[in-house]
Amino acid sequence: MKLRLFGILAVLFFLAWRTLDGLVEGDWGRLEGGLSNLGVFFRESMWPPNWSVLEARSYPVCEEDIEFFCSVGYLGMMETLKIAFVSTVLGFVGAISLSSLAARNLMPMWVAVPVRIFLSAVRSLPSLIWAILFVIVIGFGPLSGVLAMTFYTIGYLGKLQYEVFEGMPNDPLEAGRAMGLSRPSILMNIVIPENGNHLLSQLMFMFEYNVRHGTVIGIVGAGGIGYYISTYLKFLQYDKVFALLILIFIVVVLIDLLSLAVRSFVNEEGDVRKPTWLNMLIQARKQD
Amino acid sequence: MSNEAILTLNELVIGYGDPLSEPISLEVKPGEIIAILGPSGIGKTTLIRTIAGLVRPLSGSFDIKVERRGGLGYIPQRLGLVRHATVAHNVSLGARANIPWSRTMFQERKERTYEAIRTLGIEDKAAEPVRRLSGGQQRRVATARTLAQQPQLMLADEFLGELDQTNVDIVLGAVGELVEKGTAIVMVEHHEDNAKNFATRIWELREKKFHDMTIEEWIEYSSTGEEE
Repeated sequence: MKLRLFGILAVLFFLAWRTLDGLVEGDWGRLEGGLSNLGVFFRESMWPPNWSVLEARSYPVCEEDIEFFCSVGYLGMMETLKIAFVSTVLGFVGAISLSSLAARNLMPMWVAVPVRIFLSAVRSLPSLIWAILFVIVIGFGPLSGVLAMTFYTIGYLGKLQYEVFEGMPNDPLEAGRAMGLSRPSILMNIVIPENGNHLLSQLMFMFEYNVRHGTVIGIVGAGGIGYYISTYLKFLQYDKVFALLILIFIVVVLIDLLSLAVRSFVNEEGDVRKPTWLNMLIQARKQD
Repeated sequence: MSNEAILTLNELVIGYGDPLSEPISLEVKPGEIIAILGPSGIGKTTLIRTIAGLVRPLSGSFDIKVERRGGLGYIPQRLGLVRHATVAHNVSLGARANIPWSRTMFQERKERTYEAIRTLGIEDKAAEPVRRLSGGQQRRVATARTLAQQPQLMLADEFLGELDQTNVDIVLGAVGELVEKGTAIVMVEHHEDNAKNFATRIWELREKKFHDMTIEEWIEYSSTGEEE
């Protein structure tokens, strides 16, 4: 069995290698010196990170007691977090309404199929394209970011949710239907409680995703820390960009920790260990 | 208690593609307890699922004279419990099914839920998720759900399962309360003793035919069969 798996992996790797060779048209010379270039770029332009991004901006005048609260890093990150939070909540509500219509075990095919097509259409545009569209429609600023992330969340989370719903055991649904519970009641009292853990996990994942992508959509003018990253990139201030990237990394790790803590409340007892500092950075392991 | 049939099967043919039975024409009246007996895989569950409206009949029809909302109780073979929700939540689903919208709705639901929980003796488990309970306790939760629902017709698929005698007595005692109020019960049963002690009539499925018998007729029928 292990030999067969190794064989399959070897064949896949070979195919991937051949495909890549085709893509670069055999011109592997581009990689020559690439690593050393990266080293030079990192040493000369990015290192050490410029922590002035955590100091108060010169304008407008800081009225806070602690300078940090007037810094580019704090303000940008808070705006990104706010955009991510609002769009995750709005997107989750929208997604759960649509995914309950898209699940084949909850709705007839004539309802499920059009809703699935709609979700696919929403999902087919990356959040960056949504952001560009909304910046065009309503202009620069966080509202464009919120709308872009909300739409993307609906498309992405909607698919994850209806797949979870379709994977749930059928007998509680059948009991609910036979008893005469209405569709909304089945959704609220059977489907959501039965899949609460998955839904919460997806919600936390989506929040983390939206924080990470909130940095990207800022680059096209949809608000958040990405706006500052974009500005620093334009002025070649890579050391400040690096400091902001470290800040994003820390926030993402903290969200991951929060996600583990939240999920531990609803997990099957003993299945997943409570979050510790150790498993903060590694995946939660199932107990033997 | 009205003597009008609560469930009428008219030349009903059940199955998934291929018929599992010859046309069935039977009646169930309020307060009756029907035990469906027969070997595994012969169509007992399909009949229950057909009456529950989960499988379309191949031909014929059936008529259920119960309230559209909450008049029909159903305990599937795998009990149909929301495993990640608490016992109280699961039992409340029954009450939720047929208490109409009113100002006192929430209070009524709560009262009926906790009454059913007390009757089944699971009040100490009310706040626990169902997944943590033993198989026997889960069967009591499913029964409590139906008790809280107070349906006019209860369909149960092997709901006594592998229960020990103590649990069987608790569950049947609770279901007996429903029967006293006029609920008719149609249940698939594997243990002939349970059927003999609890049911008022037997539907035995043999060679694609449902034989409708009183308990006395069935005892005679089975003893003749054994002698043959």
